[in-house]
Amino acid sequence: MIAITREGKKAVVRSEGGNFVAAAIPELRMKMRGVVAEGVEELVVDLAGVEMVDSSGIGLLISAYNSLRKVGGRLAVIHASSELLELFQTMRMHQHFSVSGGAEERS
Amino acid sequence: MLSASIPKLLERRTVLSGSMQAVEEFCVDLRRRSDGLLDRASGFAIELLTREALTNAVVHGCQEDTKRQIRCAWRLSGRGFLLCVDDGGEGFDWRAAWNRQAGSGEASGRGVEILRKYASRVRYNDKGNVLIIFRRHEEGRHP
Repeated sequence: MIAITREGKKAVVRSEGGNFVAAAIPELRMKMRGVVAEGVEELVVDLAGVEMVDSSGIGLLISAYNSLRKVGGRLAVIHASSELLELFQTMRMHQHFSVSGGAEERS
Repeated sequence: MLSASIPKLLERRTVLSGSMQAVEEFCVDLRRRSDGLLDRASGFAIELLTREALTNAVVHGCQEDTKRQIRCAWRLSGRGFLLCVDDGGEGFDWRAAWNRQAGSGEASGRGVEILRKYASRVRYNDKGNVLIIFRRHEEGRHP
């Protein structure tokens, strides 16, 4: 289940119990495009509870970053597990948006 | 790295349909069967490699046609994880894709790079519709 919390021009996206993988991308893309289209300029993707992000999930985050950048907005990824932090580092995602950990502490 | 010694060879051969749902079911089964045998980082790595290999097979090999089939086999031993995926499709120019690095703003094209970085060995057949991946259990391996 994908939950979105809005506060002004900021939105937080959580995929509760789901992963950012190819099978989940169509729904995630629709929801994330929706909030950007509504004028959100700061999008936070909360990965607490997310165990897996594959290349499709990385592509979705890059796509969201590209859309936000066009309107002067920003993307942040929070509560990534140590494995996801390593993946994002390996794939140079920190060049695009901020990524922080802490998923283990929360769970 | 193994968190516990694997008591015997674990292996499985299966045929799955060309759908993302089949990939999900396959990965759930892989995770269940290897549960407790691998540390978190190794479990993550083999699932990530499996997802990339199967997603490519579904999207490019089968064009997400659920009537088409993917033959898949994996083996988990004390040495490492071996995965073989045969999508029966048209194949692709893997030689051209192998060293390609997605542009910084490109939203696609990172699957092969993940294979390159997380696997110890990657082999394609000449046509590019059969993929064999091996990841060695190795302490301190990065990633």
